[in-house]
Amino acid sequence: MAAAVFAQAGLPIRDLDVIWSRGSPKVSFTVKDLADARVREELSSGLRKRLVVTVGSHLRGSNWRMAVREFSCDVTRDLWEDGYLVRIGTRSERLKTLEDVLDRCLVVEGLFAGEPKSFEPHRGKEIYFAVQAEFNPISKKQCRELIRPTSGDDPIGPITVNIVRRRICQAERRVEFRSVYSKVPQ
Amino acid sequence: MSRFERKILFAIGLSVFLTLGGSIFLAQGALREVYQVGVNPRFGAELVHGVEARRGQLMALREGSEQVADAVKWAVEAELRKSRRTPAFEPILHALLERYEVVQGIRISDDSGRVLARVVRPSDPAGGELRTTTRDRETDSAAGTLLISVEVAVPEVYFQRLQEAGEAADVYSRLQRQGASVSDVYVWVFGFMAFLVIVVAFLIGAIVSRRVTRRVMDLADAAHQVGAGDLTVALPTGATDEVAELTNAFNQMVRDLRDSRTRIEYLQRIGAWQDFARRLAHEIKNPLTPIQLAAQELDETYGGEDAAYREKLKHARAIIEEEVATLRRLVGEFSAFAKLPQADLSPADLCELMYGIEDSIPAMLEDLGRGSPAPVEVSVSCATEPIRVRMDPMMLKRGIDNVVRNAIQAVYSENPSGGGRVTVRAYTRRGSAVIEICDNGPGVAEENWDRVFDPYYTTRAEGTGLGLAIVKKVVLEHDGEVKVDRAPQGGARFTIELHLMESR
Repeated sequence: MAAAVFAQAGLPIRDLDVIWSRGSPKVSFTVKDLADARVREELSSGLRKRLVVTVGSHLRGSNWRMAVREFSCDVTRDLWEDGYLVRIGTRSERLKTLEDVLDRCLVVEGLFAGEPKSFEPHRGKEIYFAVQAEFNPISKKQCRELIRPTSGDDPIGPITVNIVRRRICQAERRVEFRSVYSKVPQ
Repeated sequence: MSRFERKILFAIGLSVFLTLGGSIFLAQGALREVYQVGVNPRFGAELVHGVEARRGQLMALREGSEQVADAVKWAVEAELRKSRRTPAFEPILHALLERYEVVQGIRISDDSGRVLARVVRPSDPAGGELRTTTRDRETDSAAGTLLISVEVAVPEVYFQRLQEAGEAADVYSRLQRQGASVSDVYVWVFGFMAFLVIVVAFLIGAIVSRRVTRRVMDLADAAHQVGAGDLTVALPTGATDEVAELTNAFNQMVRDLRDSRTRIEYLQRIGAWQDFARRLAHEIKNPLTPIQLAAQELDETYGGEDAAYREKLKHARAIIEEEVATLRRLVGEFSAFAKLPQADLSPADLCELMYGIEDSIPAMLEDLGRGSPAPVEVSVSCATEPIRVRMDPMMLKRGIDNVVRNAIQAVYSENPSGGGRVTVRAYTRRGSAVIEICDNGPGVAEENWDRVFDPYYTTRAEGTGLGLAIVKKVVLEHDGEVKVDRAPQGGARFTIELHLMESR
């Protein structure tokens, strides 16, 4: 009954490997199905595109996230030379093919899903991991710059522009799923 | 909430809903139209074309750089063919560097990696950031295979512009795709704001209508109280609107009703007292003569020799005759009170009446002084203009005479050797004719100001308490008012107020 009321109960379930290491879960999974034909085409357009994978850890029956990790890639196909420039955090690397890029960005292996202190109070409890992979969500900063940089001084402007920004700047494609329930080790 | 209040709120709500509902309906259409004008497919297509053009430009530059690399290779091969032994690459490479702006440097090395020739374009500090890459070509020579590395560059800003154009096209395409929902957001936000305005309008309407309806409800409650006979109701005023005018009119109406009822009650009471006085006079008057005759007969027919007894009889006869005389006087006054007629009102000048009163003053003073005029200073004055009122001159003069006589008696009893003053004056004030009688006598205690006009109420031993009752009856029959308070000089002040003819 409790599981039916939380929104993420409706997410599809996928295999997700979890290894506990020093009190933290290390998760491995693939979300390459995010890259459909249109996404692949856009990644090859020569424009910088963004792939974001978010892993949230939740107690069973709750939407509240006890821990969250985000992993993002800025992918640019180099029109001057063959290959792709992939920027992960402050690190840049050059990959030859789009498949290499997808393997690098959408196949997650051994990602720490949170700090040990986040899981420590929930030892022995059932948890699940919710994964959200997004293609090209426009960052808040960029969105603000592109859609009405100044909110104006009218009363409706600041309210509406925030809603519009949220709608316009959401990801162009999104894949979400969750893991089966597992217990936090004692 | 009262029905009146509900009606006001319903009217406010209806007008606000119609106005705002209509504006939301129109705003919805207008917003969609504006959105479709601003975010139309043509602009989106042009933006995409712009992105494609920039991408095409970069691809063309890349193609051009390949061709430049080929051109360099061909130039090197030509030099090799021209001088097989000692080819001089440096001048050719400098010339190529000069010819092709895209080339940043050229290096020729043999298959062992030894650099045979190398030229580099001096860096331009003002040139901006460049994105460079190397196009490698190979050619055969007598010494083996030569590797020609051509470093080509393109300004980084080209890539930035492509990115910016791409992002703009991307956002525009999203705006196009989400057109309907973005318009809906604006309509919803507008609707929400309109709803807030409606709520505020309702609250203000409720507060305002409650203030108005509360006053109307107060009026209705007060009207019920008046209907139940309570004429002491008085509603607060202060505002300047129509409801305040209605409240003022209501208060005035209640005051008039109260005055009329007081007048009627007083006149009814006086009527009852008149009836009582008539019966009393009749019952007392009849036995007085037999009592007096019996006393006289007892005195005159005594034939005995007892001198002391005879003396007692004479004394008793004197007492009886004196008391009978007093009773006759009282009966006379009761009869006069009982026979007081109804006032017959007709237009007259109050000042004429005042002159008549002035003429009767000496007789009053003589009467009081029992032969010689009492030492009381009496002044009578009236306005220079005639004061026209509807009055019964005889009755009104009798009433005013009573008050003046009382005043003279009061000051004379206080100052029998002189110093007493009585002032009688008539004037107009705010649509009324006023007759004011002031004295410097002992005055009337404040707690007795209402009672002095009651029949048979008197503070004097020889008084009947009918004089001021007659005054009040006369004044009330003139539709006027009489009251007593303290005179400026310390004695009593009687004020009679009658309606001026012009003001009715």
